[in-house]
Amino acid sequence: MTPSVLASAVRVFDLSLGQMLWSRRSIFLGLLLGGPVVLALALRIISSLYGLPINGAQPEGATIFGMMVWLLYIRFIVPILGVFYGTALIADEVEDKTITYLFTRPIPRSAVLLGKYLAYLVCTVLLVLPSVMLVFFLIAPTGGSSVAAAFPSLLADFAMLIMGLASYGAVFALVGTRLKRPLVVGLVYAFGWEPAVLLFPGYLKRLTVMYYLQALVTHEMPQDSAVSMVLQLFREVPAIPTSLVSLAVIIAVTLWGAGRAVEQREYVLEQ
Amino acid sequence: MTSIVAADHLSKWYGQVIGLNDVTVTVPGGITGLLGPNGAGKSTFMKLVTGQLKPSKGTITVLGEPIWGNPALYHRIGFCPEQDSFYERMTGLEWVTALVRLNGVADAAASAMAARAIGTVELTDAANKKIGAYSKGMRQRIKLAQALAHDPELLILDEPLAGMDPIARRRTIRLIKDWGRAGKSILVSSHILHEIESMTANILLINQGRILAEGNVHQIRELIDEHPHTVHIKADRTRALAREFLAHDDVLSLRLEEGAVVVQTGRPDAFYARLTDLAASGEHGTIHEVTSPDDNLQAVFQYLVKS
Repeated sequence: MTPSVLASAVRVFDLSLGQMLWSRRSIFLGLLLGGPVVLALALRIISSLYGLPINGAQPEGATIFGMMVWLLYIRFIVPILGVFYGTALIADEVEDKTITYLFTRPIPRSAVLLGKYLAYLVCTVLLVLPSVMLVFFLIAPTGGSSVAAAFPSLLADFAMLIMGLASYGAVFALVGTRLKRPLVVGLVYAFGWEPAVLLFPGYLKRLTVMYYLQALVTHEMPQDSAVSMVLQLFREVPAIPTSLVSLAVIIAVTLWGAGRAVEQREYVLEQ
Repeated sequence: MTSIVAADHLSKWYGQVIGLNDVTVTVPGGITGLLGPNGAGKSTFMKLVTGQLKPSKGTITVLGEPIWGNPALYHRIGFCPEQDSFYERMTGLEWVTALVRLNGVADAAASAMAARAIGTVELTDAANKKIGAYSKGMRQRIKLAQALAHDPELLILDEPLAGMDPIARRRTIRLIKDWGRAGKSILVSSHILHEIESMTANILLINQGRILAEGNVHQIRELIDEHPHTVHIKADRTRALAREFLAHDDVLSLRLEEGAVVVQTGRPDAFYARLTDLAASGEHGTIHEVTSPDDNLQAVFQYLVKS
């Protein structure tokens, strides 16, 4: 009897997580995630020496942290992680010619994809969360903010980041299994299509992940600044429940599509 | 004897390139050798048999069932692929255990089954070393271990002796014959007749995507013997080996390359037997790897196709 997709996926997850965590990709992207920490450290030093006035006022640390989460993590790092890992879930095994070992075992091929997707999710969460926490503890105390008061919003940010990683990972898993040149397509989608469509009114923005993620941002942005005006443009957002349901649907549909593609596709390995 | 693989007008093409062309063949139980030069269609046939590829035309059944899209059948099949690819950071034991777990076996049982398979291929001492540190022969053997760990009825081995040193080669041939005697069916591919012949008399000859002949190896043996057999040997002391080889009249020609000696022999059986003894004695240093290009076999196939 063939084990269930979920049970098989858990075993593929066990096999894949260590490989993914210690891959060159993770080391490189781990270094990238050091960027916001270095920036936060610099801001902390500048803040303690000169203060950080925006339009003459000193914003709270929690506000700066919220901006960093939105602009650096959600708008940049999360899509980058989704593109680089999501498009490579199966492609890495094909390129390394190890896919044969997984496809000649009594498990559905879609379980291989699902297991590797779960490994991606845990791997990227383990990469992102330490970076976010360091940034939080460096930035939150500035401007007279209380770390304890800001802590609940950190948890909300964690949840939003995990939802973003899950959504982008699933979308790019579909891209990786269905399309040629998935990395290029993924980068164009994340950094061409999404930012462009979000700037214009209309329904097209509903075809982006970012549109739904915006609703989950809990932070108040600084008012009366150029930054806030740009951010307000982006914040034409649906209600939180609508966003959560939409993101769940995106994850389910794209993973199902990716699983179907893996089930039906022949992988011809170069000898 | 019931058939283990049955192909009916089986074809596979990649775009405009034909990999396998209208093959109808039945593979019986026991050990069967699939023999053909590189590019003959062996790997395509193996990939169809193992359900990695879908037939473009015709049908293929394994152990009486279609294999494409039928993952449950892999409980009964063990596959050792040709490619030298691994999760290099894992130890041999971790890797085989992880793959056995994919068969639905619980952790402790999977670990025990993996350890037993690793013992069977005589790698117990290296079971806890990282695969990245394994020699070529050890890598071949750990691939065999993952194929047989779950005790399948049918073993499909794609070029299992490629790159092994003479001693590992002899051990592996002995293992394959033992498995055959233990009641397993084995389909093993190679481009070297001598290897196949040492495991079984039952062969399928494949070339240019077609099965040219099936049956007893001895029927084509005389043809093969008319063509010199080339052997490429990587060793520490190539000059000493060359001097030793030249003392025997079955060596037709010999040349030295960097770290290797290339020999043409008219009697491969005698030559390989002597080579194995030399490797075991260590008299002329370590022999690292023995390979055989398929030029000689290609010549025989060209002859067969023309005749």
